[in-house]
Amino acid sequence: MLAKTVEKILLEFNPQKRNLLPVLKNINSVFGYVSAKDAQKVADYFSLPLALIFQTASFYDEIKTKKSSAIVIQVCSSSNCAVNGAFNLVREIEIFLKIKAGDDNNLKIKLEEISCLGHCGEGPIMLVNGKKYERVNVSELYKILEEWLGN
Amino acid sequence: MKNELKIITKDWDKLNPLRIEDYIAIGGYQSLEKFISKLKPSEIIAEIKESQLAGRGGAGFLMGEKLAQVAEEKGTKYFICNLDESEPGTYKDRAIVDHNPHLLLEGIILCSLAIGAEKAFIYLNGRYEEQREILAQAIQQARKKYFLGKNIFQSDYKLSIELFSGAGAYICGEETALINSLEGNRGEPKLKPPYPVKAGLFGCPTVINNAETIANIPWIIKNSGEKYKEIGSISSPGSKLFILGGVVKNKGLIEAQTGITLRELIYDFGGGLLSGKEFWFAQLGGSSGRLLLEDELDIKLDFNKKNQYPLGSGSVLVVDKTVDIYDLMLSWASFFRRESCGKCVPCREGTFRLWGIIKRLRDREISQRDKEAMEDILWTLNNTTFCPLGKFSATAIQDAITKLGKDIFKKNN
Repeated sequence: MLAKTVEKILLEFNPQKRNLLPVLKNINSVFGYVSAKDAQKVADYFSLPLALIFQTASFYDEIKTKKSSAIVIQVCSSSNCAVNGAFNLVREIEIFLKIKAGDDNNLKIKLEEISCLGHCGEGPIMLVNGKKYERVNVSELYKILEEWLGN
Repeated sequence: MKNELKIITKDWDKLNPLRIEDYIAIGGYQSLEKFISKLKPSEIIAEIKESQLAGRGGAGFLMGEKLAQVAEEKGTKYFICNLDESEPGTYKDRAIVDHNPHLLLEGIILCSLAIGAEKAFIYLNGRYEEQREILAQAIQQARKKYFLGKNIFQSDYKLSIELFSGAGAYICGEETALINSLEGNRGEPKLKPPYPVKAGLFGCPTVINNAETIANIPWIIKNSGEKYKEIGSISSPGSKLFILGGVVKNKGLIEAQTGITLRELIYDFGGGLLSGKEFWFAQLGGSSGRLLLEDELDIKLDFNKKNQYPLGSGSVLVVDKTVDIYDLMLSWASFFRRESCGKCVPCREGTFRLWGIIKRLRDREISQRDKEAMEDILWTLNNTTFCPLGKFSATAIQDAITKLGKDIFKKNN
Protein backbone atom coordinates (compact mmCIF):
# COMPACT_ATOMS: atom_id res chain seq x y z
CA MET A 1 0.00 0.00 0.00
CA LEU A 2 1.26 3.44 -0.85
CA ALA A 3 2.06 5.68 2.04
CA LYS A 4 -0.57 8.27 2.72
CA THR A 5 0.65 11.84 2.47
CA VAL A 6 -0.96 14.97 3.79
CA GLU A 7 -1.59 16.10 0.22
CA LYS A 8 -3.51 12.92 -0.53
CA ILE A 9 -5.64 13.32 2.57
CA LEU A 10 -6.40 16.94 1.67
CA LEU A 11 -7.53 16.04 -1.83
CA GLU A 12 -10.20 13.76 -0.39
CA PHE A 13 -12.00 16.79 1.02
CA ASN A 14 -13.40 20.03 -0.37
CA PRO A 15 -11.63 23.07 1.06
CA GLN A 16 -14.68 24.18 3.04
CA LYS A 17 -14.18 25.05 6.66
CA ARG A 18 -16.65 22.46 7.82
CA ASN A 19 -14.26 19.80 6.55
CA LEU A 20 -11.47 21.09 8.75
CA LEU A 21 -12.11 18.84 11.72
CA PRO A 22 -12.38 15.63 9.63
CA VAL A 23 -9.14 16.55 7.82
CA LEU A 24 -7.29 17.15 11.09
CA LYS A 25 -8.61 13.88 12.53
CA ASN A 26 -7.45 12.07 9.43
CA ILE A 27 -3.95 13.53 9.55
CA ASN A 28 -3.78 12.78 13.26
CA SER A 29 -4.76 9.15 12.78
CA VAL A 30 -2.14 8.60 10.06
CA PHE A 31 0.79 10.53 11.56
CA GLY A 32 -0.07 10.45 15.25
CA TYR A 33 -0.18 14.24 15.48
CA VAL A 34 -0.59 17.38 13.40
CA SER A 35 2.82 18.97 12.95
CA ALA A 36 3.36 22.68 12.26
CA LYS A 37 4.45 21.80 8.73
CA ASP A 38 1.31 19.78 8.04
CA ALA A 39 -0.84 22.46 9.62
CA GLN A 40 0.66 24.99 7.20
CA LYS A 41 -0.30 22.73 4.28
CA VAL A 42 -3.84 22.52 5.64
CA ALA A 43 -3.94 26.29 6.03
CA ASP A 44 -2.83 26.81 2.42
CA TYR A 45 -5.35 24.30 1.11
CA PHE A 46 -8.26 25.82 3.04
CA SER A 47 -7.03 29.40 2.45
CA LEU A 48 -7.22 30.05 6.18
CA PRO A 49 -4.63 31.57 8.54
CA LEU A 50 -2.38 29.06 10.28
CA ALA A 51 -3.58 30.35 13.66
CA LEU A 52 -7.12 29.28 12.79
CA ILE A 53 -5.99 25.73 12.04
CA PHE A 54 -4.31 25.48 15.44
CA GLN A 55 -7.27 27.17 17.08
CA THR A 56 -9.43 24.24 16.07
CA ALA A 57 -6.77 21.54 16.38
CA SER A 58 -5.71 22.44 19.90
CA PHE A 59 -9.26 22.27 21.24
CA TYR A 60 -9.98 18.58 20.77
CA ASP A 61 -8.64 15.75 22.88
CA GLU A 62 -8.25 13.39 19.97
CA ILE A 63 -6.06 15.74 17.95
CA LYS A 64 -2.50 16.19 19.12
CA THR A 65 -0.31 19.07 18.04
CA LYS A 66 2.84 17.62 19.54
CA LYS A 67 4.57 14.38 18.76
CA SER A 68 3.32 11.96 21.37
CA SER A 69 5.34 9.45 23.36
CA ALA A 70 6.12 6.03 21.91
CA ILE A 71 3.75 4.38 24.35
CA VAL A 72 0.65 6.17 25.59
CA ILE A 73 -1.26 4.60 28.45
CA GLN A 74 -4.72 6.05 29.01
CA VAL A 75 -6.88 5.19 31.98
CA CYS A 76 -10.53 6.21 32.08
CA SER A 77 -11.06 8.04 35.36
CA SER A 78 -14.74 8.88 34.99
CA SER A 79 -17.11 8.02 37.81
CA ASN A 80 -18.05 4.43 36.91
CA CYS A 81 -14.45 3.44 36.31
CA ALA A 82 -13.34 5.40 39.38
CA VAL A 83 -15.60 3.41 41.71
CA ASN A 84 -14.17 0.24 40.18
CA GLY A 85 -10.61 1.17 41.02
CA ALA A 86 -9.31 3.26 38.11
CA PHE A 87 -7.27 5.45 40.45
CA ASN A 88 -5.60 2.38 41.93
CA LEU A 89 -4.38 1.55 38.45
CA VAL A 90 -3.09 5.09 37.98
CA ARG A 91 -1.21 4.99 41.31
CA GLU A 92 0.12 1.52 40.55
CA ILE A 93 1.44 2.60 37.13
CA GLU A 94 2.91 5.81 38.53
CA ILE A 95 4.93 3.91 41.12
CA PHE A 96 5.91 0.99 38.90
CA LEU A 97 7.06 3.04 35.91
CA LYS A 98 8.21 6.04 37.96
CA ILE A 99 6.15 8.46 35.88
CA LYS A 100 3.43 10.99 36.71
CA ALA A 101 -0.01 11.05 35.15
CA GLY A 102 -0.30 13.95 32.72
CA ASP A 103 3.46 14.43 32.26
CA ASP A 104 4.00 15.44 28.63
CA ASN A 105 7.77 15.50 28.55
CA ASN A 106 8.67 11.85 28.53
CA LEU A 107 9.26 10.74 24.94
CA LYS A 108 9.19 7.03 25.75
CA ILE A 109 6.07 6.60 27.79
CA LYS A 110 3.13 8.68 28.85
CA LEU A 111 0.30 8.11 31.29
CA GLU A 112 -2.89 10.13 31.12
CA GLU A 113 -6.37 10.09 32.57
CA ILE A 114 -9.15 10.28 30.01
CA SER A 115 -12.90 10.85 30.04
CA CYS A 116 -15.70 8.36 29.58
CA LEU A 117 -15.64 6.16 26.47
CA GLY A 118 -19.16 4.80 26.97
CA HIS A 119 -18.13 1.30 28.06
CA CYS A 120 -19.11 1.91 31.65
CA GLY A 121 -20.37 -1.59 32.37
CA GLU A 122 -16.95 -3.03 31.62
CA GLY A 123 -14.75 -0.71 33.69
CA PRO A 124 -12.12 0.09 34.58
CA ILE A 125 -11.10 0.75 31.00
CA MET A 126 -7.53 1.21 29.93
CA LEU A 127 -6.09 2.00 26.51
CA VAL A 128 -2.50 1.38 25.44
CA ASN A 129 -1.72 3.09 22.13
CA GLY A 130 -5.43 2.88 21.34
CA LYS A 131 -5.85 -0.82 22.19
CA LYS A 132 -8.69 -1.26 24.65
CA TYR A 133 -8.54 -3.40 27.80
CA GLU A 134 -11.65 -3.96 29.90
CA ARG A 135 -12.13 -4.84 33.58
CA VAL A 136 -8.46 -4.30 34.32
CA ASN A 137 -7.32 -5.26 37.81
CA VAL A 138 -3.88 -4.88 39.27
CA SER A 139 -2.54 -8.33 38.36
CA GLU A 140 -3.83 -7.97 34.82
CA LEU A 141 -2.31 -4.53 34.66
CA TYR A 142 1.15 -6.00 35.10
CA LYS A 143 0.52 -8.53 32.35
CA ILE A 144 -0.52 -5.73 30.00
CA LEU A 145 2.48 -3.60 30.91
CA GLU A 146 4.78 -6.57 30.35
CA GLU A 147 3.18 -7.18 26.97
CA TRP A 148 4.03 -3.64 25.85
CA LEU A 149 7.26 -3.02 27.69
CA GLY A 150 8.53 -6.58 27.64
CA ASN A 151 12.18 -5.87 27.07
CA MET B 1 -42.66 -6.15 35.71
CA LYS B 2 -44.43 -3.00 36.86
CA ASN B 3 -43.63 0.06 34.76
CA GLU B 4 -41.84 -2.06 32.23
CA LEU B 5 -42.06 -0.71 28.75
CA LYS B 6 -40.70 -1.41 25.31
CA ILE B 7 -40.87 1.44 22.86
CA ILE B 8 -37.25 1.98 21.96
CA THR B 9 -35.91 -1.39 23.08
CA LYS B 10 -38.70 -3.35 21.37
CA ASP B 11 -37.51 -6.55 19.67
CA TRP B 12 -33.84 -5.78 20.27
CA ASP B 13 -33.08 -9.45 20.72
CA LYS B 14 -34.56 -10.27 17.30
CA LEU B 15 -32.75 -7.64 15.29
CA ASN B 16 -29.49 -7.72 13.43
CA PRO B 17 -28.40 -4.07 13.32
CA LEU B 18 -26.77 -4.58 9.94
CA ARG B 19 -29.93 -5.86 8.23
CA ILE B 20 -32.66 -3.43 7.23
CA GLU B 21 -34.91 -6.41 6.41
CA ASP B 22 -35.07 -7.33 10.10
CA TYR B 23 -36.36 -3.90 10.99
CA ILE B 24 -38.88 -3.87 8.15
CA ALA B 25 -40.12 -7.29 9.26
CA ILE B 26 -41.13 -5.93 12.67
CA GLY B 27 -43.00 -3.01 11.11
CA GLY B 28 -40.10 -0.64 10.56
CA TYR B 29 -40.48 2.36 8.27
CA GLN B 30 -44.27 1.99 8.40
CA SER B 31 -44.51 5.32 10.21
CA LEU B 32 -42.58 6.93 7.38
CA GLU B 33 -44.86 5.32 4.82
CA LYS B 34 -47.90 6.49 6.78
CA PHE B 35 -46.53 10.04 6.79
CA ILE B 36 -45.72 10.09 3.07
CA SER B 37 -49.02 8.60 1.98
CA LYS B 38 -51.48 10.17 4.41
CA LEU B 39 -50.16 13.02 6.51
CA LYS B 40 -49.04 16.63 6.09
CA PRO B 41 -45.88 17.89 7.88
CA SER B 42 -48.03 20.08 10.11
CA GLU B 43 -50.01 17.03 11.23
CA ILE B 44 -46.81 15.25 12.27
CA ILE B 45 -45.72 18.23 14.31
CA ALA B 46 -49.17 18.47 15.89
CA GLU B 47 -48.90 14.80 16.82
CA ILE B 48 -45.48 15.27 18.43
CA LYS B 49 -46.74 18.36 20.27
CA GLU B 50 -49.69 16.36 21.54
CA SER B 51 -47.35 13.67 22.85
CA GLN B 52 -45.59 16.19 25.16
CA LEU B 53 -42.29 14.49 24.31
CA ALA B 54 -39.51 16.26 26.21
CA GLY B 55 -35.88 16.26 25.07
CA ARG B 56 -34.02 13.31 26.57
CA GLY B 57 -30.59 14.90 26.51
CA GLY B 58 -31.03 16.48 29.90
CA ALA B 59 -32.63 19.90 29.49
CA GLY B 60 -36.08 18.46 28.77
CA PHE B 61 -37.25 21.07 26.24
CA LEU B 62 -40.46 20.05 24.46
CA MET B 63 -39.56 18.62 21.08
CA GLY B 64 -42.83 19.60 19.37
CA GLU B 65 -42.19 23.27 20.18
CA LYS B 66 -38.75 23.19 18.61
CA LEU B 67 -40.01 21.51 15.45
CA ALA B 68 -42.95 23.90 15.14
CA GLN B 69 -40.71 26.96 15.46
CA VAL B 70 -38.36 25.82 12.73
CA ALA B 71 -41.16 24.59 10.47
CA GLU B 72 -42.46 28.18 10.34
CA GLU B 73 -39.11 29.51 9.07
CA LYS B 74 -38.34 29.81 5.38
CA GLY B 75 -35.24 28.89 3.39
CA THR B 76 -32.59 26.28 4.12
CA LYS B 77 -33.03 24.39 7.38
CA TYR B 78 -31.11 21.64 9.09
CA PHE B 79 -31.88 18.82 11.44
CA ILE B 80 -29.16 17.50 13.72
CA CYS B 81 -29.22 14.31 15.74
CA ASN B 82 -27.05 14.76 18.80
CA LEU B 83 -25.16 11.53 19.40
CA ASP B 84 -22.19 13.11 21.11
CA GLU B 85 -22.84 11.09 24.18
CA SER B 86 -20.03 11.65 26.63
CA GLU B 87 -21.60 11.98 30.07
CA PRO B 88 -19.73 9.54 32.31
CA GLY B 89 -21.77 6.41 32.93
CA THR B 90 -24.06 6.91 29.94
CA TYR B 91 -24.24 4.75 26.85
CA LYS B 92 -27.94 4.72 25.97
CA ASP B 93 -27.52 6.33 22.54
CA ARG B 94 -24.72 3.93 21.68
CA ALA B 95 -27.03 1.07 22.64
CA ILE B 96 -29.73 2.35 20.27
CA VAL B 97 -27.27 2.36 17.37
CA ASP B 98 -25.79 -0.99 18.36
CA HIS B 99 -29.19 -2.67 18.37
CA ASN B 100 -31.50 -0.77 16.07
CA PRO B 101 -29.90 1.96 13.95
CA HIS B 102 -32.88 2.08 11.58
CA LEU B 103 -35.23 3.18 14.35
CA LEU B 104 -33.03 6.22 14.78
CA LEU B 105 -32.85 6.82 11.02
CA GLU B 106 -36.61 6.61 10.67
CA GLY B 107 -37.01 9.14 13.46
CA ILE B 108 -34.50 11.48 11.84
CA ILE B 109 -36.20 11.20 8.44
CA LEU B 110 -39.63 11.90 9.93
CA CYS B 111 -38.46 14.95 11.87
CA SER B 112 -36.41 16.35 8.98
CA LEU B 113 -39.27 16.07 6.51
CA ALA B 114 -41.69 17.54 9.03
CA ILE B 115 -39.67 20.75 9.38
CA GLY B 116 -38.80 20.91 5.69
CA ALA B 117 -35.09 20.18 6.01
CA GLU B 118 -33.33 18.52 3.09
CA LYS B 119 -30.17 17.79 4.98
CA ALA B 120 -29.68 16.14 8.34
CA PHE B 121 -26.54 15.52 10.33
CA ILE B 122 -25.71 12.94 12.94
CA TYR B 123 -23.04 14.31 15.26
CA LEU B 124 -21.30 11.29 16.76
CA ASN B 125 -18.98 11.05 19.71
CA GLY B 126 -15.48 10.77 18.21
CA ARG B 127 -14.87 7.51 20.08
CA TYR B 128 -17.90 5.80 18.56
CA GLU B 129 -16.11 4.43 15.50
CA GLU B 130 -17.98 1.12 15.37
CA GLN B 131 -21.28 2.98 15.64
CA ARG B 132 -20.26 5.22 12.76
CA GLU B 133 -19.73 2.12 10.62
CA ILE B 134 -23.12 0.68 11.60
CA LEU B 135 -24.88 3.96 10.79
CA ALA B 136 -23.03 4.36 7.49
CA GLN B 137 -24.24 0.91 6.42
CA ALA B 138 -27.77 1.62 7.63
CA ILE B 139 -27.88 4.85 5.61
CA GLN B 140 -26.72 2.97 2.50
CA GLN B 141 -29.44 0.36 2.95
CA ALA B 142 -32.13 2.95 3.55
CA ARG B 143 -31.10 4.79 0.41
CA LYS B 144 -31.35 1.62 -1.66
CA LYS B 145 -34.91 1.10 -0.42
CA TYR B 146 -35.79 4.74 -1.26
CA PHE B 147 -36.36 5.70 2.37
CA LEU B 148 -33.66 8.31 1.88
CA GLY B 149 -32.29 10.35 -0.99
CA LYS B 150 -34.44 11.90 -3.72
CA ASN B 151 -38.08 10.87 -4.14
CA ILE B 152 -38.61 9.12 -0.83
CA PHE B 153 -41.37 6.53 -1.41
CA GLN B 154 -41.83 8.01 -4.92
CA SER B 155 -42.83 11.36 -3.44
CA ASP B 156 -41.22 14.77 -3.87
CA TYR B 157 -39.62 14.62 -0.44
CA LYS B 158 -35.84 14.45 -0.39
CA LEU B 159 -33.28 14.12 2.36
CA SER B 160 -29.65 13.22 2.79
CA ILE B 161 -28.05 12.30 6.10
CA GLU B 162 -24.40 13.03 6.80
CA LEU B 163 -22.35 11.51 9.58
CA PHE B 164 -19.98 13.78 11.44
CA SER B 165 -17.62 12.58 14.14
CA GLY B 166 -16.51 14.79 16.98
CA ALA B 167 -13.01 14.55 18.39
CA GLY B 168 -13.38 14.04 22.09
CA ALA B 169 -14.97 17.05 23.74
CA TYR B 170 -17.73 16.76 26.33
CA ILE B 171 -18.88 20.32 25.77
CA CYS B 172 -19.79 19.55 22.14
CA GLY B 173 -22.95 17.92 23.46
CA GLU B 174 -24.17 21.45 24.20
CA GLU B 175 -26.11 22.52 21.12
CA THR B 176 -24.33 25.76 20.25
CA ALA B 177 -20.92 24.18 20.87
CA LEU B 178 -21.97 21.28 18.65
CA ILE B 179 -22.81 23.72 15.87
CA ASN B 180 -19.44 25.43 16.26
CA SER B 181 -17.73 22.06 16.03
CA LEU B 182 -19.69 21.09 12.90
CA GLU B 183 -18.66 24.36 11.26
CA GLY B 184 -14.99 23.57 11.85
CA ASN B 185 -14.43 25.87 14.81
CA ARG B 186 -13.46 25.27 18.42
CA GLY B 187 -16.34 23.56 20.15
CA GLU B 188 -17.14 26.45 22.46
CA PRO B 189 -20.70 27.39 23.36
CA LYS B 190 -22.22 30.55 21.91
CA LEU B 191 -24.37 33.16 23.56
CA LYS B 192 -28.11 32.47 23.37
CA PRO B 193 -30.25 34.09 21.97
CA PRO B 194 -30.24 33.72 19.04
CA TYR B 195 -31.30 30.15 19.63
CA PRO B 196 -30.45 27.49 17.04
CA VAL B 197 -34.11 27.37 16.00
CA LYS B 198 -33.59 30.91 14.62
CA ALA B 199 -29.91 30.92 13.67
CA GLY B 200 -28.18 27.59 14.00
CA LEU B 201 -25.90 25.66 11.67
CA PHE B 202 -24.37 28.01 9.04
CA GLY B 203 -26.79 30.64 10.33
CA CYS B 204 -29.87 28.67 9.24
CA PRO B 205 -32.74 27.54 11.47
CA THR B 206 -31.75 24.23 13.01
CA VAL B 207 -33.35 21.65 15.25
CA ILE B 208 -30.98 19.67 17.45
CA ASN B 209 -32.28 16.68 19.35
CA ASN B 210 -30.83 13.87 21.35
CA ALA B 211 -30.81 10.46 19.67
CA GLU B 212 -33.04 8.94 22.34
CA THR B 213 -35.71 11.62 21.83
CA ILE B 214 -35.71 10.95 18.10
CA ALA B 215 -36.01 7.21 18.63
CA ASN B 216 -39.46 7.81 20.17
CA ILE B 217 -40.85 9.50 17.06
CA PRO B 218 -41.70 6.44 14.90
CA TRP B 219 -43.82 5.02 17.75
CA ILE B 220 -45.64 8.33 18.22
CA ILE B 221 -46.48 8.63 14.52
CA LYS B 222 -47.65 5.04 14.40
CA ASN B 223 -49.72 5.03 17.59
CA SER B 224 -50.62 8.75 17.99
CA GLY B 225 -49.37 11.34 20.43
CA GLU B 226 -52.40 10.91 22.62
CA LYS B 227 -51.44 7.33 23.41
CA TYR B 228 -47.87 8.36 24.14
CA LYS B 229 -49.10 10.97 26.59
CA GLU B 230 -50.83 8.29 28.63
CA ILE B 231 -47.54 6.57 29.42
CA GLY B 232 -45.72 7.41 32.61
CA SER B 233 -45.57 10.75 34.38
CA ILE B 234 -48.06 13.50 33.58
CA SER B 235 -45.59 16.36 33.35
CA SER B 236 -43.21 14.60 30.95
CA PRO B 237 -44.75 11.40 29.65
CA GLY B 238 -43.19 8.55 27.74
CA SER B 239 -40.37 6.09 27.98
CA LYS B 240 -36.88 6.73 29.25
CA LEU B 241 -33.69 4.75 28.95
CA PHE B 242 -31.78 4.39 32.19
CA ILE B 243 -28.29 3.05 32.72
CA LEU B 244 -27.67 1.31 36.01
CA GLY B 245 -24.11 1.16 37.27
CA GLY B 246 -22.17 0.68 40.46
CA VAL B 247 -22.93 -1.98 43.04
CA VAL B 248 -26.29 -3.20 41.69
CA LYS B 249 -26.82 -6.82 40.69
CA ASN B 250 -28.03 -6.23 37.13
CA LYS B 251 -26.02 -3.47 35.58
CA GLY B 252 -26.91 -2.11 32.20
CA LEU B 253 -29.64 -0.52 30.15
CA ILE B 254 -33.27 -0.38 31.23
CA GLU B 255 -36.27 1.10 29.50
CA ALA B 256 -38.95 2.28 31.90
CA GLN B 257 -41.76 4.80 32.13
CA THR B 258 -40.98 8.29 33.31
CA GLY B 259 -42.21 8.89 36.81
CA ILE B 260 -40.65 5.67 38.10
CA THR B 261 -38.87 6.09 41.42
CA LEU B 262 -35.20 5.51 41.93
CA ARG B 263 -36.00 2.81 44.47
CA GLU B 264 -38.04 0.86 41.91
CA LEU B 265 -35.26 1.26 39.40
CA ILE B 266 -32.57 -0.06 41.73
CA TYR B 267 -34.52 -2.80 43.49
CA ASP B 268 -37.14 -3.97 40.93
CA PHE B 269 -35.15 -3.60 37.73
CA GLY B 270 -31.61 -3.72 39.07
CA GLY B 271 -32.28 -6.64 41.38
CA GLY B 272 -31.05 -4.72 44.39
CA LEU B 273 -27.52 -4.34 45.62
CA LEU B 274 -24.80 -6.94 45.33
CA SER B 275 -24.75 -9.17 48.39
CA GLY B 276 -22.82 -7.74 51.30
CA LYS B 277 -23.03 -4.19 50.01
CA GLU B 278 -24.67 -1.41 51.98
CA PHE B 279 -26.34 1.48 50.13
CA TRP B 280 -24.67 4.83 50.71
CA PHE B 281 -25.91 7.13 47.96
CA ALA B 282 -26.85 7.16 44.30
CA GLN B 283 -25.80 9.67 41.68
CA LEU B 284 -28.41 10.54 39.12
CA GLY B 285 -27.42 11.69 35.63
CA GLY B 286 -23.69 11.10 35.33
CA SER B 287 -20.86 13.15 36.79
CA SER B 288 -22.93 16.30 36.58
CA GLY B 289 -25.76 14.77 38.59
CA ARG B 290 -26.97 15.18 42.14
CA LEU B 291 -26.52 12.72 44.97
CA LEU B 292 -29.48 11.03 46.63
CA LEU B 293 -29.39 9.42 50.04
CA GLU B 294 -31.48 6.45 51.15
CA ASP B 295 -34.46 8.57 52.29
CA GLU B 296 -34.65 10.37 48.94
CA LEU B 297 -35.00 7.28 46.80
CA ASP B 298 -38.76 7.65 46.45
CA ILE B 299 -38.73 10.79 44.33
CA LYS B 300 -40.23 10.42 40.90
CA LEU B 301 -37.90 10.60 37.93
CA ASP B 302 -39.15 12.85 35.15
CA PHE B 303 -38.31 16.05 33.29
CA ASN B 304 -40.51 18.34 35.35
CA LYS B 305 -38.74 21.71 35.57
CA LYS B 306 -39.60 21.98 39.26
CA ASN B 307 -37.90 18.71 39.97
CA GLN B 308 -35.27 19.09 42.64
CA TYR B 309 -33.29 16.21 41.19
CA PRO B 310 -32.92 16.60 37.44
CA LEU B 311 -32.92 13.36 35.54
CA GLY B 312 -30.11 14.44 33.24
CA SER B 313 -28.91 11.76 30.90
CA GLY B 314 -30.65 9.02 32.88
CA SER B 315 -27.64 7.17 34.20
CA VAL B 316 -27.65 5.99 37.79
CA LEU B 317 -24.52 5.20 39.76
CA VAL B 318 -25.11 3.32 43.00
CA VAL B 319 -22.35 3.78 45.53
CA ASP B 320 -21.70 1.79 48.69
CA LYS B 321 -19.51 2.52 51.67
CA THR B 322 -16.54 0.52 50.42
CA VAL B 323 -15.99 3.03 47.63
CA ASP B 324 -13.25 5.55 48.25
CA ILE B 325 -15.22 8.80 48.20
CA TYR B 326 -12.05 10.82 47.63
CA ASP B 327 -11.34 8.94 44.43
CA LEU B 328 -14.88 9.55 43.27
CA MET B 329 -14.69 13.25 44.07
CA LEU B 330 -11.37 13.46 42.28
CA SER B 331 -12.97 11.72 39.32
CA TRP B 332 -15.69 14.40 39.11
CA ALA B 333 -13.24 17.25 39.58
CA SER B 334 -10.69 15.98 37.09
CA PHE B 335 -13.37 15.23 34.53
CA PHE B 336 -14.62 18.82 34.55
CA ARG B 337 -11.10 20.26 34.70
CA ARG B 338 -10.32 18.34 31.49
CA GLU B 339 -13.59 19.13 29.80
CA SER B 340 -13.96 22.82 30.65
CA CYS B 341 -13.60 24.48 27.27
CA GLY B 342 -11.73 27.51 28.57
CA LYS B 343 -14.03 30.12 27.13
CA CYS B 344 -15.01 31.78 30.40
CA VAL B 345 -12.74 32.47 33.36
CA PRO B 346 -14.93 31.24 36.24
CA CYS B 347 -15.18 27.77 34.75
CA ARG B 348 -11.65 27.50 33.38
CA GLU B 349 -10.05 28.63 36.65
CA GLY B 350 -12.73 27.32 38.97
CA THR B 351 -12.60 23.73 37.74
CA PHE B 352 -8.79 23.83 37.88
CA ARG B 353 -8.63 25.15 41.45
CA LEU B 354 -11.36 22.79 42.57
CA TRP B 355 -9.38 19.87 41.17
CA GLY B 356 -6.30 21.05 43.05
CA ILE B 357 -8.18 21.24 46.34
CA ILE B 358 -9.85 17.85 45.89
CA LYS B 359 -6.46 16.36 45.12
CA ARG B 360 -5.11 17.76 48.38
CA LEU B 361 -8.21 16.50 50.16
CA ARG B 362 -7.51 13.01 48.84
CA ASP B 363 -3.87 13.19 49.86
CA ARG B 364 -4.95 14.39 53.35
CA GLU B 365 -3.17 17.69 52.90
CA ILE B 366 -6.18 19.99 52.86
CA SER B 367 -5.81 23.22 54.82
CA GLN B 368 -8.35 25.52 56.45
CA ARG B 369 -7.73 28.00 53.64
CA ASP B 370 -8.64 25.35 51.07
CA LYS B 371 -11.91 24.65 52.82
CA GLU B 372 -12.87 28.32 52.73
CA ALA B 373 -11.75 28.74 49.13
CA MET B 374 -13.77 25.70 48.13
CA GLU B 375 -17.02 27.36 49.20
CA ASP B 376 -16.10 30.44 47.21
CA ILE B 377 -15.23 28.46 44.11
CA LEU B 378 -18.37 26.36 44.27
CA TRP B 379 -20.51 29.49 44.53
CA THR B 380 -18.72 31.05 41.56
CA LEU B 381 -19.10 27.93 39.44
CA ASN B 382 -22.74 27.70 40.36
CA ASN B 383 -23.67 31.28 39.59
CA THR B 384 -21.35 32.95 37.13
CA THR B 385 -20.29 30.60 34.34
CA PHE B 386 -21.20 31.12 30.69
CA CYS B 387 -22.82 27.75 30.06
CA PRO B 388 -24.21 25.03 32.34
CA LEU B 389 -20.93 23.09 32.44
CA GLY B 390 -19.67 25.23 35.30
CA LYS B 391 -22.80 24.53 37.29
CA PHE B 392 -22.50 20.82 36.53
CA SER B 393 -18.96 20.73 37.86
CA ALA B 394 -20.09 22.09 41.22
CA THR B 395 -23.26 20.03 41.68
CA ALA B 396 -21.91 16.67 42.80
CA ILE B 397 -19.13 18.08 44.96
CA GLN B 398 -21.50 20.52 46.62
CA ASP B 399 -23.85 17.64 47.37
CA ALA B 400 -21.02 15.50 48.69
CA ILE B 401 -20.04 18.23 51.12
CA THR B 402 -23.53 19.07 52.35
CA LYS B 403 -24.91 15.54 52.42
CA LEU B 404 -21.92 13.40 53.27
CA GLY B 405 -20.06 16.29 54.88
CA LYS B 406 -19.35 14.87 58.28
CA ASP B 407 -18.19 11.59 56.85
CA ILE B 408 -15.90 13.30 54.41
CA PHE B 409 -13.98 15.58 56.69
CA LYS B 410 -13.95 13.21 59.66
CA LYS B 411 -11.53 10.84 57.99
CA ASN B 412 -9.36 13.83 57.47
CA ASN B 413 -8.53 14.62 61.09
